[in-house]
Amino acid sequence: MLLSLSWLREFTPYEGSAEALGDRLTMLGLELEDIVRPYRDISAIVVGHVVECGAHPESDHLRVCCVDAGQGETLDIVCGAPNVAAGQKVAVALIGTRLPDGTVIKKAKLRGAPSSGMICSERELGLSDNHDGIMVLPGTCPVGARLVDAIDLDREVLDISVTPNRADCLSILGLARETALAFDLPLTVPEKALTEDATLPQTLVPIDIPEPDLCRLYAGRVISNVSIVPSPMSVRHRLQAHGVRPISNIVDVTNYILLECGQPLHAFDLDSLHGGRIVVRRAGEGEKFTTLDGQERTLTQDDLCICDADRAVALAGVMGGLNSEITGESRSVFLESAVFKPENIRKTSRRLGLSSEASYRFERGVDQRRSLFSLDRACAMMAAVGGGSVRRGLSCSEPSPFVPARISYRPARAHTLLGVSLSAEFSEKSLRDIGCAVDKSVAGGQRDVWQVSQPSWRPDITREADLIEEVGRLHGLDSIPPVSPQAGQDIGRAGQAPSLYAFWSRIRHWGAGLGLNEAVNYSFVGHKDLDHLGLPKEDRVSILNPLSAEQDVLRTALAPGLLQTLRNNLAQGAQGLRIFELAHTFAADATETSASTGTGVRETGKIGILLYGARHDAAWPRPEADMDYADIKGIVEHLLHFLHLSAPLCEQKNGHPWLLPCVELRLAGQVDGRTTGQTIGWMGRLKPALAEPFHARKDVWLAELGLDALRALHESAHMQFVPLPVYPPVRRDITVITDSGLYAGQVFDHLKKLDHPLLADVALTDCFEPQDAQGERRLTFRLTFRHPARTLKDAEVDKEREKVAQSLIQALGVRI
Amino acid sequence: MDILAALDSLVTEFESGLALASTPESLEELRVDALGRKGKLAQIMSRLPELEPAARPAAGQKANSVKERCNALFEARKQAILAIRESAALRRFDPTLPGRAPWRGSLHPTTLITEEICAVFSGMGFDVVSGPEVEHDYYNFEALNMPAAHPARDMQDTLYITGQTLLRTHTSPVQVRSMLARRPPLAVIAPGKVYRRDSDLTHTPMFHQVEGLLVEEGTSLAHLRGTLTIFVRAVFGAQTRVRFRPSFFPFTEPSAEVDISCSICGGEGQVAGQPCRVCKTTGWVEILGCGMVDPAVFAAVGYPEDISGFAFGMGVERVAMLKYGIGDLRMFFENDARFLAQFA
Repeated sequence: MLLSLSWLREFTPYEGSAEALGDRLTMLGLELEDIVRPYRDISAIVVGHVVECGAHPESDHLRVCCVDAGQGETLDIVCGAPNVAAGQKVAVALIGTRLPDGTVIKKAKLRGAPSSGMICSERELGLSDNHDGIMVLPGTCPVGARLVDAIDLDREVLDISVTPNRADCLSILGLARETALAFDLPLTVPEKALTEDATLPQTLVPIDIPEPDLCRLYAGRVISNVSIVPSPMSVRHRLQAHGVRPISNIVDVTNYILLECGQPLHAFDLDSLHGGRIVVRRAGEGEKFTTLDGQERTLTQDDLCICDADRAVALAGVMGGLNSEITGESRSVFLESAVFKPENIRKTSRRLGLSSEASYRFERGVDQRRSLFSLDRACAMMAAVGGGSVRRGLSCSEPSPFVPARISYRPARAHTLLGVSLSAEFSEKSLRDIGCAVDKSVAGGQRDVWQVSQPSWRPDITREADLIEEVGRLHGLDSIPPVSPQAGQDIGRAGQAPSLYAFWSRIRHWGAGLGLNEAVNYSFVGHKDLDHLGLPKEDRVSILNPLSAEQDVLRTALAPGLLQTLRNNLAQGAQGLRIFELAHTFAADATETSASTGTGVRETGKIGILLYGARHDAAWPRPEADMDYADIKGIVEHLLHFLHLSAPLCEQKNGHPWLLPCVELRLAGQVDGRTTGQTIGWMGRLKPALAEPFHARKDVWLAELGLDALRALHESAHMQFVPLPVYPPVRRDITVITDSGLYAGQVFDHLKKLDHPLLADVALTDCFEPQDAQGERRLTFRLTFRHPARTLKDAEVDKEREKVAQSLIQALGVRI
Repeated sequence: MDILAALDSLVTEFESGLALASTPESLEELRVDALGRKGKLAQIMSRLPELEPAARPAAGQKANSVKERCNALFEARKQAILAIRESAALRRFDPTLPGRAPWRGSLHPTTLITEEICAVFSGMGFDVVSGPEVEHDYYNFEALNMPAAHPARDMQDTLYITGQTLLRTHTSPVQVRSMLARRPPLAVIAPGKVYRRDSDLTHTPMFHQVEGLLVEEGTSLAHLRGTLTIFVRAVFGAQTRVRFRPSFFPFTEPSAEVDISCSICGGEGQVAGQPCRVCKTTGWVEILGCGMVDPAVFAAVGYPEDISGFAFGMGVERVAMLKYGIGDLRMFFENDARFLAQFA
């Protein structure tokens, strides 16, 4: 809301600075955004008096004016405007003055005649588009004075951010009320000064409101014999300074009063109202209506229309109709002042995407008790600027008069809530100052309960808490002393499992500690990103009103976001990337409606890891190499170890849409005494054919694990100390020569299944594939033998190694 | 040569030999050659019976002193050679070569700030709670005193999934769920992702919030001020000043916005004579919104009418921008590794 200091001063004698006012209002909850000085560019323009206006010797259309601009001696100024004449007061730019368009006025000769300055048009001063001639000022303007002072332009305008609850502050009057409150100044509401024309017959417009729930008050007056012309300068400039474009005298007045009193008004061309009557009814379903911005709108039964005898003429509270707007030919005006149900106006405005100054105020609530005043004040002003006369008679229907809320106010409750003791005198004065009536008599109720009634302009004050807020606000929230809080630990909740947040946090620290960079991607991607990877279409959760097609669906996997991050980094010249992310993935799931969230969407916590390119950032001192399967697998195994879980079972999945290879990760676990393999995620390499859009020319390794499953497994796993072995180990290597198709895991599995009492550990130490041999691999394992109770002898270990070797040959058909 | 002369020349010979030797190995050879069991000294001493018995003790003494002298010479020369070796080895050692550094991981700045905030409140007894990101309209708006046609909904442009489900616009629905699940006293803090239908220089459609709620008999605005003053000083430093401005949120009454003295200019409004760009010369920076829980919210969760409590919420990115001097909000979600790596 824009508030000009000079307009404010018509209501309350505030003499301080704009800054001081802004600071004070800010601390009252009306935050100052900015101080605008709309006419700063023309502050050097002065008032001049055209003493003489003579012909130019060399030109028919130029005139040579002798101007007194209060400079001691008169100035000769050459002027080409058709309307310049002796005796006028005009706006003069002196030599050296810079105009709003940047032009600097210099001494010049125009067709040989010297000119010491310029007489300006409104357009040259940035005041309007009018360039038909120079700006002619009222004769009362003092010569030599600054133009901005002489015609009292709104030089300082505060831009104040008004929160949705403070409907009352969407007007100069409302902000003046707060200013008066803040500085303890009187508030003077200007007289409405309405004079009905007694010479003309009374003119009433019948008003029918079949929807009393949606329209609390509808009133209007008729002004006849108006001429539609531009508003006087003072009105135009004031509207401009408050961000409103001047249109014509009648329309400008409705906007002027809207800004001043906060009451939206609408002026109809009375002659285009069929039947000379008003009906406030719901629109028909699918009814077409053209608003005065020229747009045809399709209405529903939820929309309220102002109609004449035959048709809709305005969309109630939102915008007038093209069929009844004020035009240059309008002669009679029906001026509407009404109050509509806020929720209904908001619905219509939102549905049509049509917000106006009027709908903005109606949605928040207007002061019904001020509506008729505003109507009358506007009529008086229209008569003054439009040359018409206000007809006798107020047309008015008020199905629901304003009834102030009666609120019980307990000073003790205020004390509890604010944490500061306020005197009864202060509280009572505060409530009265904001416009409440306060009844402290005990007769009406209990002791220490005041009966307080709501001011008509404060729709936000209906409850005790609202009053307490007001008292607190006037006391100053900032002067309430801080007290240390009392939040204590709840014994009943002690010993519960660490929070989900704590678990995620541990994993994040694991990732960072391991050397991965944590990324955060948007939860939404485009359907096309999911399509690119061939992710299933069925369970996707689409966004109804996405900002763009790039963000129209929630992620069903973390990979699309991680790949986006990869692309961003490769575009920046990265050689390698090691990132992880913890986030939710989303899937439509009808069963969720009955489950805890009730949203029909299943959210699953995931950790995603992406590895790409160089294994090490620096070429030295390690050999340069790109990351491969062993890197991603090592990291996944590290994570599981960190969570006290066993190494995963890795099973290759064929036919995966976007990973090749794709390895499913399962964890062996005991459920009801039998071994199961719970799937916890997958890892693999992005198919090179799909990597192109991400500019990835090397292998992209990805892994994704479900955090909910990991958390459950982690919480059921517990660390158990195993005594350290006392006797030394004896190690023997064994090299297994396999044909293609035998996994190292099969060897491990076999050795584990042997359950050999002395074989304490098996580790792979080498994997070699000779160039010439077709698919042959040589896997070297290191077997660690240990006896729990004595030191083993070399000979017996050799014997045991041989046994192991023979069993491998027999079971797996390998050579040793 | 007589024995004594032989002993004397042994020392001279040994000493000049040592001077020529340059490795510990050749030194050792010399030592064995001179002093070993079959060395020169032993050979000379084997001739002891040649002497008169009366001269033998003197010769024995002489032999001992020769042995000591040689050993001393040997030790000195050995240390000298080792010292030369060490300094040669040190000359080859380059302490400025890069280390074989493990990977350098990092936490996202929103994680760092979220953890910092949660740690402060955990220390004050708040439980950290989580909730779904896709929410029902009821938890996100209705229960928080924002019915469908409430103008306050304009403050939070919403991304909808269906007419009734949406991406949560704040983490307040977690507070509602917590209150429905537990009875007072209750102190929870809810960090997480939130979503708004807004994207420009200073808004991203997803960002992070931390919101807190405390409900306990007798809780007042003074407690809220105390709590937030502790928080602000813990995160922004002991010198930070705090300012409470009345404001409006549908779910709190009274409501306030909290400003802190600008951490960039120290509240002066100027940095080295230039207007401070962060606080726009006001000296204050808005950091969070808060208030006393609105009675309508307590009614929605079935709490007693005269209970009281406070709630507050803040944007994590905003705090991170202030603390780390990050100028561009969008950097948080571009995940440029050069950006991420700075938050180790």
